[in-house]
Amino acid sequence: MPESIKTSARITVNDRAAFSAPTGQSLLAALQERNIFIPSACGGHGLCGLCRIQVLSGAGAITEREEALLSKAERRAGQRLACQVQVERDLRLTIPEHFFYAREYKAEVVALRELTPDIRGITLKLSSPATMDFKAGQYIQFRIPPYAGGRLTYRAYSIASPPSQPGVLELEVKQVLNGIGSTYVFKHLKLHAAVVFSGPYGDFYLRPGNRAAVLVAGGSGMAPMRAILLDMRDRQVRRRVHYFYGARARRDLLLLGELQTLEQTLPDFQFIPALSAPLPADEWHGEIGLISDVLARHLAERFDGEAYLCGSPAMIAACIKVLHEKGVNDDRIFYDAFA
Amino acid sequence: MKKADSLATIEKTLQNDPATRRAFLGSDKRSLAEILRADAAIVRRRGLNHARIAQRMLALRQAGWSGQGEVVAVPPHFAVKVEAERGYLACPFGDEGAVAKVNTTVRNLARGLEITFSNLNIHLIAAHRFYEGRGAKFRLDPGQLIETLAISRRVSGAASGRHR
Ligand SMILES: Cc1cc2nc3c(=O)[nH]c(=O)nc-3n(C[C@H](O)[C@H](O)[C@H](O)COP(=O)(O)OP(=O)(O)OC[C@H]3O[C@@H](n4cnc5c(N)ncnc54)[C@H](O)[C@@H]3O)c2cc1C
Ligand code: FES
Repeated sequence: MPESIKTSARITVNDRAAFSAPTGQSLLAALQERNIFIPSACGGHGLCGLCRIQVLSGAGAITEREEALLSKAERRAGQRLACQVQVERDLRLTIPEHFFYAREYKAEVVALRELTPDIRGITLKLSSPATMDFKAGQYIQFRIPPYAGGRLTYRAYSIASPPSQPGVLELEVKQVLNGIGSTYVFKHLKLHAAVVFSGPYGDFYLRPGNRAAVLVAGGSGMAPMRAILLDMRDRQVRRRVHYFYGARARRDLLLLGELQTLEQTLPDFQFIPALSAPLPADEWHGEIGLISDVLARHLAERFDGEAYLCGSPAMIAACIKVLHEKGVNDDRIFYDAFA
Repeated sequence: MKKADSLATIEKTLQNDPATRRAFLGSDKRSLAEILRADAAIVRRRGLNHARIAQRMLALRQAGWSGQGEVVAVPPHFAVKVEAERGYLACPFGDEGAVAKVNTTVRNLARGLEITFSNLNIHLIAAHRFYEGRGAKFRLDPGQLIETLAISRRVSGAASGRHR
C-alpha cells in the first residue's frame, strides 16, 4: 500500500511492546487507547509541554507548537510532544517508565461539599481499578463530559487526600469565571455520578530529607498541601513545616478546623492562615495581608529549607521573589511546572 | 512564531466546530468578517484603534497584578482586581503559544461602570481586532470597554508588556 493511504501504523514502545493504531490521530490519543496515559494538562492543544516523549523514528516534521515548547537540545534528542505528532507511519518511541503507572480510573462521586462559596470538595470512590497508588501532591486529569453544547475535555485537579486512602480520592475545585471544567463541577456534577479520570501525574511532592519546609498556598492550592500534610501525619514524618495559606475573608478559609487539629497531631507543624481582606464580622485576630508579605514577615533573614508553592501564578511569582531575597535558590523551590 | 490562520480558514473552523463557535461567536448570526467590521467601526468613530485599547487593558491588568486577586486602587479612579488561575488556553485563531487563564475586573469609580476581560480578550483585540460575537460569555462591547476604561485619544502612557 502506498505510504500516503496507510490506514494503520505500528507503534513500538521502549523496544519491548508494539501495537497497531489507526492513522490520522495524535500519538497522544493512540497511546491513550492502549492505556498508556501520557501527562497532559492542556487537553492536547500543544500548550503545556507535559506530553513530551522521545520519538526515535517515524514522526513527521516538527510543528510550530513543538518549536515553541521544546529546546534545541530536546529536539536534537528526539523529544516530541505526543499531542502534536500525528500517527501517519510506523513509530518507535521511548517513554519514561513512570508514565506507565498512570491509568484510567472509573469512580463514583460519593460526597460533594461546599468548602467555601467558590471551592467545592468532591469525594470519589474508585471502582475500576479500585485503588490508585500516588504520591501526595500529584494531580489527576478529570474527564469533563460534553454539556451545554460543549465538547469532551479534561482538566487537571490536584489530589487533596493522602495516599493512605488509595480507594477514595478527594478533590477541591475552584469556580472560575465561565470556566468549562469548574462550571461542570459546580452546576452539573451530581452525587453518585459516574466519573472517569486518569493519573497520577506530576512531580510536585515533598522531597525526602529533613530540611525545614514552608508550604505556601492560596485558593485551590490547598489541595496538594493538604495531601502532603495528611501523608506526613500518616507516615509519622518528623519535619519542621510551616504552612502559609492565604484567603480573602474568613468565609474563604477552608478546612481551618482540620488544619488546627493537625497542629496537635503532627509534630513541628505550624499552620499560618492569613486573610487579605477580613470583614469586621470575621473578628479575625490572625495574620492580615497578602500571603507573600506574610511569608516575608515570618521567614528568617536566610532560610535554608525548601519551599513548596501552589496557587495563582501571581502568588507564586511574588513568593518566589520573597524566597530569593531570603537566600532560597530555585533548586529548593517547588511548584507545578504548568501552574 | 506561526501567523494566525486566514479569516476564511477561521470562519470555516468555527462553522465546523459548534463548541468553539458558541464560545467565541455566541448567538451572533453575523459572519466573523461582519462582526470584525462592525466593531472596528465603533472603535474608529471614537478616534481610537485596537492596539490602543489592548494597551490600556494590559496596563490596567499590570497595575492590578500585584494584588494577587485583591482589589488594587489605580489612579485616578479605578479599582482593579486580577484573578489568575492555573492553566492556559489556546487562541481560536490558531496563534502559537498559550494564553494564561487570567481575568481582570476594572471598576471605574467615577463613572460607576465595571467590566471584566480575560488575557485572551486582550490577545484577541491586539492580534485580531476581535471582541467576540454577541451572546458569547466573554464578548466585550467596544463602546462599553472604551467608556469603562476611560480610553481617550490622548496618549495615556500605558505600560507596555505581554498580554499572554
Ligand atoms: C497541575 C495542575 C493542577 C491543578 N489543580 C487544581 C485543583 O486542585 N483545583 C482547581 O480548582 N484547579 C486546579 N487546576 C486548574 C484547573 O485545571 C483549570 O485550569 C481551572 O480550574 C480552570 O478550568 P475551567 O475549565 O474551569 O476554565 P476554562 O474554561 O479552561 O477557562 C476559563 C477562563 O478562560 C478564559 N476564556 C475562556 N473562554 C474565553 C473566551 N471565549 N474569550 C475570552 N476568554 C476566555 C477566561 O479567562 C475564563 O475565565 C490545576 C491546574 C494544573 C495545571
Ligand atoms: S498535552 Fe499539552 S502539550 Fe501536549
